[in-house]
Amino acid sequence: MIDVLTSYTFLIVAIGTVILAFACGIVGTVSVIKGQSLIGDAIGHATFPGIIFAFMLVGVMETYTLALGAVIFGIFAFFTIQIITDSSKVTLDSALALILSSFFGLGMALKSYVQGHPGFSGTQGIDDYIFGQAAYMLRTDVYLIIIASVISLLLFMLFYSHIKIYVFDPIFSKSVGVNTGLMNFMILSMTIVLIAVGLKAVGAILIVNLLIAPGVIGLLWSNRFPMVLIIAGFSGAVSAFTGTYVSTVYAGFATGPSIILAMSILVLLSMVFGSKGLLHTHRKRNQGVVS
Amino acid sequence: MTRNIIEVSDLSVAYAHNPVIWHINLAVKANSRTAVVGPNGAGKSTLIKSIMNLNKPLSGKVEINGKKPKHALKNIAYVPQKGEVNWDFPTTVLDVVLMGRYVHKGWFKRMNKADVAAAMDALSTMKMEAFKDRQISELSGGQRQRVFLARAICHDADFYIMDEPLQGIDITTEKLIIDTIKALQAKGKSFLVVHHNLDTVEEYFDHVIILNKSVIAQGTIEEAWKKENIDKAYDDRSVTT
Repeated sequence: MIDVLTSYTFLIVAIGTVILAFACGIVGTVSVIKGQSLIGDAIGHATFPGIIFAFMLVGVMETYTLALGAVIFGIFAFFTIQIITDSSKVTLDSALALILSSFFGLGMALKSYVQGHPGFSGTQGIDDYIFGQAAYMLRTDVYLIIIASVISLLLFMLFYSHIKIYVFDPIFSKSVGVNTGLMNFMILSMTIVLIAVGLKAVGAILIVNLLIAPGVIGLLWSNRFPMVLIIAGFSGAVSAFTGTYVSTVYAGFATGPSIILAMSILVLLSMVFGSKGLLHTHRKRNQGVVS
Repeated sequence: MTRNIIEVSDLSVAYAHNPVIWHINLAVKANSRTAVVGPNGAGKSTLIKSIMNLNKPLSGKVEINGKKPKHALKNIAYVPQKGEVNWDFPTTVLDVVLMGRYVHKGWFKRMNKADVAAAMDALSTMKMEAFKDRQISELSGGQRQRVFLARAICHDADFYIMDEPLQGIDITTEKLIIDTIKALQAKGKSFLVVHHNLDTVEEYFDHVIILNKSVIAQGTIEEAWKKENIDKAYDDRSVTT
């Protein structure tokens, strides 16, 4: 089991998932604070048919093409949600549930068709995009994750002050010259791209956890935005490493669920022991600090 | 004759094809304390947002110090309505006040000791120094409003625009805010304030704009704050709901 830690394949894969989870944790925290966690979930599910369409078009499981298919469907899903909520009385949560299920349903139907069709070969790999299978990640998958994550993190650092004011107080931010439309677009693009490159590692169903759980953990430990981001990034990274290790050592454990399990344990621990968690609030209340 | 800091001509704004304010012509005098009053739905916040270049008018134009609003924003400190802010955001009082410094520093420089000192000064004006490390969600309504005014002071603009700063706050804070506004006026600053309590207009302000979809009356308190104008704005049942 220890051998795994020094195995070249494991290291490559672990570097990929760890960097992905770090970037997702930081970018996703913005959605958590804005109360838009479910948008990431809908987009995550909606990218699945994009993967299969891309595969059907080119006939091979090629990393960049599949990621592009995922991105296009992510954007498509987002705008469909916008159009539904803007032009009808359907509420945002209903629109999200509709898009999530119908896009994913489309993906599953396409998957059955492709896997049952003799004209397509090598279709088993499609299953990896549902729950994630880091062990089968190619080196190009990892490169793509690193490129997307590093660009996202650099952009986030560059526009850190803008993003902070925009998320806290959008109207004030506009009044001091923040381009709020651009900030919104940037956060959304980062989210969609990180989802698209992370699908093979974590899968369409569970990728939202990588975006949301770290922010939740961060907010349970700190009152300060930069600290929340750092805690989010590292809890994502630690969970990703643990999950990748477990799924590599124990055959049959998909990577997505293993990472999410590790993350969920951290969420639970934070809810109880975090400086804004249950125990702490309870103690404060007993001392009469919080009414 | 004092000059005008804001001039609005023939401004009309609609949301989803429903006109909210139309054919607004108004002027705000430099170094004045000008109140904007009117019934619910009269378009007060919409007017403020147009002046701040935060929405797209159907027609008309706004000039601030003779410039387009876009180019005058550095000189305006904006105090938002309480509901417009994300209160769950993980940040402290001092951090919020420091946001007022960004317009002067540029976005990519770190805050230094001088910035923190300016923020602490602003906090002490609003009697909030003791709360500097408090998470904003733990503050009362009045304390939150003090923090926003401190941020505006830290911004050090010539012109303050405030959307209902006295809504839902305690008497002590209300008095402190008004005293601070008067003290800043004495230093040459100008104010445009959306205000909801008709009983205190005369006491708190020296100019008033009475609004209900369009401008009913405007000018100094003596000129415009008359019963017939107030009745005209508030008793028209076809526009109030």
